[in-house]
Amino acid sequence: MVSDEALMLEFQGGSREAFEELFARYREPLYGFFRRRLESKARADDLMQETFLAVIRATSRYQPRALVRTYLYGIAIKLLAAERRRDRRSDPAPEPEIANIDNSLWVRRALEQLDPQEREILMLREYEQLSYSEISDLLRLPVNTVRSRLFRARMSLKNHLEPIPNRDRKGASAEDQP
Amino acid sequence: MKTHPIEQEELMAYLDGELPVQRAAEAAAHLENCRGCQSLAADLQGVQRRLLEWQVDVGQASGLPKEIPVPEKRPRKVWRWAAAFVSVGVAGVLVVSLGQLNSRRAALQGDRIVTARLPKFAAQERQVADALMSVPIIARTSEITITTNNFDQSRSAMEEIVKRRNGYFGQLNVNANPNSGRTLDATLKIPAPQREPAIAELKKLGRVEFESQTGEEVTAQSMDLEARLSTAHNTEQRLTDILRNRTGKLSDVLAVEESLSRVRGEIEKMEAERKALANRVDFLALQIHLQENYRQKPDSIVGRLRDAAASGYEGLVSGITGAILLLLKAGPSLIFWAVVLFFPARFAWRKLRRR
Repeated sequence: MVSDEALMLEFQGGSREAFEELFARYREPLYGFFRRRLESKARADDLMQETFLAVIRATSRYQPRALVRTYLYGIAIKLLAAERRRDRRSDPAPEPEIANIDNSLWVRRALEQLDPQEREILMLREYEQLSYSEISDLLRLPVNTVRSRLFRARMSLKNHLEPIPNRDRKGASAEDQP
Repeated sequence: MKTHPIEQEELMAYLDGELPVQRAAEAAAHLENCRGCQSLAADLQGVQRRLLEWQVDVGQASGLPKEIPVPEKRPRKVWRWAAAFVSVGVAGVLVVSLGQLNSRRAALQGDRIVTARLPKFAAQERQVADALMSVPIIARTSEITITTNNFDQSRSAMEEIVKRRNGYFGQLNVNANPNSGRTLDATLKIPAPQREPAIAELKKLGRVEFESQTGEEVTAQSMDLEARLSTAHNTEQRLTDILRNRTGKLSDVLAVEESLSRVRGEIEKMEAERKALANRVDFLALQIHLQENYRQKPDSIVGRLRDAAASGYEGLVSGITGAILLLLKAGPSLIFWAVVLFFPARFAWRKLRRR
């Protein structure tokens, strides 16, 4: 399989097919990245498209110094930060879409209770499957800091998640009783 | 208390596949026998499983836009030649500005490296190096101590000289003591070509009490730095090529990335050294000490009377204090001997009187 970096250089050289291949590889991961961090599906899709647009615009400046994956998530993180700034300036955040309220609600609520940076590190590791080194590059943190914050995040999340099954069971048994 | 050879964070890194092979083997061996670590590992894996409950429907992501502005294919050969010309130009300017070069050995060494990188332009660079190799690279420092009758005027003149000679002040301290003249200590940075006229003008600021000039030859240091820098650039280029054409595993890419990052760090450090060295060569570091010729003004009659009164008062206080100190010091001994000698003395006195 041709590497992402080789595809990027081919695209830089004018190959549309190379870009199509890159898009096929990263369309879903990037959509998932935005979808987990934003309430709106439409905005997640827009930002995924904008990430690729940014790649197209910056093609001439691309240098194969880092993995394409890190490069793409770097752009995605910047776009997400801009989106959040816009959200803060505008009116109150919209209510979550109904479809979002599913079995994963407890996980999301537990994640929301984490420190923002620890949450971001944890999500990049678990959902985007990035290595410690890639996260370190993206967030401009030393690798050891990434590791210790990831550990803290996982331990905090464990504490936030633990009571849930008990509560569920208690709730369920109360409802079951006549 | 039981100590674990593997820290908790390391255990997590092991589960994430982020430990080096050697350490991972140690972690695996420890995990097999440690119940505490097995429990922690189970907790961490449990958290991972819970997180996977949150799945998003990525199939809803939209497809490729119809219009993709594909970048035009670049005329690579022309670009490469242009880059080569620019590189040679920049290298030439650096060589000349850095310092008017150098020893035969270092020049030849530099040539070999340049030849390996840009064979077509090695001859031109060699000519430049040959032309300059007989000129040594000197970093100069000077020190002057000057006494002046008009401190303010001399200071203004010094600032004007520094400005006119395109120099600058590295450091400037002025002291004004009440019982002595003012002093100014400054480190001036004067461009090397302006060195002689600047020193000549500064000497006219007053009477020169002390002057010294030193020159340190840094030719070998400079050429050695250049050679190491060229080698590092070559290594960087090779690693970049490997990265660009790589087809190996991610771990290989990361290893190359790591090496590349280290080499770039070294290059940055050497660039900083080169800049500092060039600065030492291009600018004379001149330490100047400017002293005011201080003459105490003669006192008035009132002042002298006041001084005499103060002196008399100080004498009185000093005398009284001395007497009290003497009494305190010798008093106990005097009393003791007076008591001891009183009765024998009185007995002797009476006897003498009776006769």
